[in-house]
Amino acid sequence: MRQPSLTARRVAAATVGLVLAAGAAACGPEDNDAKASGGDSTPHKGGTLTVLNANPTQDFDPARLYTSGGGNVPSLVFRTLTTRNRENGAAGTEVVPDLATDTGRPNKDATVWTYTLKKGLTYEDGTAITSADIKYGIERSFAPELSGGAPYLRDWLVGAADYQGPYKDKKGLSAIGTPDARTIVFHLNKPEGEFPYLATQTQFTPVPKAKDTGTKYEEHPVSSGPYKVVSNQNDGERIVLERNTHWSAATDAERKAYPDRIDVRSGLDSSVINQRLSTSQGADAAAVTTDTNLGPAELAKVSGDKELAARVGTGHFGYTNYIAFNPTVKPFDNPKVRQAISYAVDRSSVVNAAGGSALAEPATTFLPNQKSFGYEPYDLFPAGKAGNAAKARELLAQAGYRNGLTVTLTHSNAKDFETSPEIATAIQDALKKAGITVKLQGLEENDYSDKIHNVKTEPGFFLAHWGADWPSGGPFLAPIFDGRQIVKDGANFNTGLLDDKSVNAEIDAINKLTDLDAAAKRWGALDKKIGEQALTVPLFHPVYKRLYGKDIKNVVISDWTGVLDISQVAVK
Amino acid sequence: MSEALVAAEVAGTGVDPVPAASGARQFWRRLRAQRAALVAGALVALLVLVALAAPLLTALEGQDPTTYHPALVDSARGGVPIGSFGGIGGDHWLGVEPQTGRDLFARLVYGARVSLGVALAATVVQVVIGVTLGVAAALGNRWVDQLLSRFTDIIVAMPLMIMALALLAIVPSSFPRPVLVALVIGLIGWGNIAKIVRAQTLTLKELDYVAAARLSGWGTWRIARRELLPGLAAPVITYAALLAPSNITVEAALSFLGVGVKPPTPSWGQMLTAADVWYQAAPQYLLLPAGALFLTVLALTVLGDGVRTALDPRAASRLRIGTGRKREARA
Repeated sequence: MRQPSLTARRVAAATVGLVLAAGAAACGPEDNDAKASGGDSTPHKGGTLTVLNANPTQDFDPARLYTSGGGNVPSLVFRTLTTRNRENGAAGTEVVPDLATDTGRPNKDATVWTYTLKKGLTYEDGTAITSADIKYGIERSFAPELSGGAPYLRDWLVGAADYQGPYKDKKGLSAIGTPDARTIVFHLNKPEGEFPYLATQTQFTPVPKAKDTGTKYEEHPVSSGPYKVVSNQNDGERIVLERNTHWSAATDAERKAYPDRIDVRSGLDSSVINQRLSTSQGADAAAVTTDTNLGPAELAKVSGDKELAARVGTGHFGYTNYIAFNPTVKPFDNPKVRQAISYAVDRSSVVNAAGGSALAEPATTFLPNQKSFGYEPYDLFPAGKAGNAAKARELLAQAGYRNGLTVTLTHSNAKDFETSPEIATAIQDALKKAGITVKLQGLEENDYSDKIHNVKTEPGFFLAHWGADWPSGGPFLAPIFDGRQIVKDGANFNTGLLDDKSVNAEIDAINKLTDLDAAAKRWGALDKKIGEQALTVPLFHPVYKRLYGKDIKNVVISDWTGVLDISQVAVK
Repeated sequence: MSEALVAAEVAGTGVDPVPAASGARQFWRRLRAQRAALVAGALVALLVLVALAAPLLTALEGQDPTTYHPALVDSARGGVPIGSFGGIGGDHWLGVEPQTGRDLFARLVYGARVSLGVALAATVVQVVIGVTLGVAAALGNRWVDQLLSRFTDIIVAMPLMIMALALLAIVPSSFPRPVLVALVIGLIGWGNIAKIVRAQTLTLKELDYVAAARLSGWGTWRIARRELLPGLAAPVITYAALLAPSNITVEAALSFLGVGVKPPTPSWGQMLTAADVWYQAAPQYLLLPAGALFLTVLALTVLGDGVRTALDPRAASRLRIGTGRKREARA
């Protein structure tokens, strides 16, 4: 759950977007792995893995990275207290220990979390990793000059709200205790059963104080993972990693680290990346991408070619594209109007506009259709495949719009197949059948983002999307529906301006649970309850298709990231 | 052809002052004698007719340009149209659009309205501004001439695309888009025509019949209207005929860049943008708007060239057009 802090939230939104866009390729794990690896599928050590990306990983400093589950390239260099389970599909949404021996031991009300480090952990120079280094790593993420991470630590740790980092405040954060070199204790200002998820983020990476060079640390961060940074050109445009000989697989159950060398090249055009992966020549045969999906046209071409189709990884990432209503704008203050639109939406044409059934799954729930989020299937305003225009007309008549209705749909002009004109025109066409005339208002990306996240300028009817920082119902629902998170003069994500006491109370109650399965069930039930208010019309959950080179083996794509996991890939 | 070259040639056409009225019949004779120009003219006429009759044609087909047909595309394969050549058949004469299943014939003919309408309207704006400022500069005193000529130089020097992008981005989206695009192209692209008109007017105003008019006490306005404008017709018509196709490509480029007309209004440029990624999986989707654009621009250019030749007696005689000599030679 994030507290209202304007800049942090903006960064959050932007980066979540980036992670996603970049995000994903995960898997219909069942259907492609076995086939993909084919013949000699045993992975072997050695070789160079090339990563072809559109967006560079900028500010390669564990304090500054905004990642979900530790990221992909960052996770090769930075180990954290916990990490995401490196398994295909739903198993990959679990939190597992990384530097710590377990995922954390909470006190009774989940306000104090204790971790013990594994034995024999060292940095790339052979020196030992201590709990004080992890504390220091977290503290420096509070320094204003090392901004960029998620806002949770500042919100959750006792007395951290105004902390300015270890450079200005030598005393450090009293909320983090290090009773001995292997133990670290976190004191939170409220119960947070999901703390183990937060401990996967790179801010929980150990940083040796003696080697800290402040803003220059990103050039040569000290590795705790299987690879170390050999060179980093133009702020992430090209990052070369080589084996860290002091890393030991005995202390790391998650990272496989098959290739000897990893060459990350960014700033490439997405069509170039897909073209290079499909031809798969020279070094590109041992190449993957962690941020470029196959578009609809590329998918049409690939699916007609057996050899290429076998080299596609399918990924799911917890993400929902939806229509948002602002109930303070007429006529959307009338629940009947919102319900009518819910009934009128034609999800099959929306799915097609998003790239077809292989790239999008129709959504009737706000929560992503994954167990870890607490997904409970429901369809409160059944529109069928093509929309229920008759039911919509009936509701409109009851609302007093017997002769139809004219509304404006705000969308962005980004070419992302998410909040873009293609989706908006598909909705426009479907609503026409129900007697609703939709005018389109397309805004430039920044303008769009500013308008919809400001309560003063928020339009009544617009396209939106949301993804969480980790695969759980909490960060997915709370920012959007918790009434106390409405921000009057800053970036507001509660676009439906819902402030319902029973919803707020349930969110608090679930946050106290440390049994994540039990919590998930209640998030699912809460989602359904909120859904009754028709403040959103869920449209679709995206599916990511990613090509990889023909020498790539051991493809693992979790539902946490939806991306082919580089720590598992082999090229020999 | 470079613009400077065109300008020079166009300006040259009027040097011997052919009184327009007496030249009209000769013009038609010379134009008719050029087979390519005739074919191009017929094609342009057909395109204009298609654009005007777009609602009629699509009604005949039984389709419209905005209705989605999700069942006609293969959703599992990215939304590629089902059937050969993009789903061409009796219901959809040119197939359907990938992902949406919208009828391509309907989008193409409605797109013609935008492409031709915007381009022609922009040409009219360019001609009106260009002629007005060109004549004013030539007839005004030294200061007026200096001011207008330098202003024209500035407009000519401005990069058209970048200016248009900037202008289109700042106007609120409630303003009718096709009108806006036509205005923007028109307001930026009149520079060369103003220069040609000024040069031609300066030549004309030294001629005896203009001097005679001035001596008989006619006012500047009357002289401009009665004595100068007829002499300007030839170069202006010629240049306008060459501006129209270039305006079509500018409109297409602006739509291609996403600042032209807005969806769901179809335009050829917009179809090209949506289609460029589909060139491998559904080539006809790209070929249709590209082909339409190519034909239109080619036809307008050939027609414009024909008009220029027909208006220029020297070029006509060089090409032995409309002199009757060709027929004699054959006989």
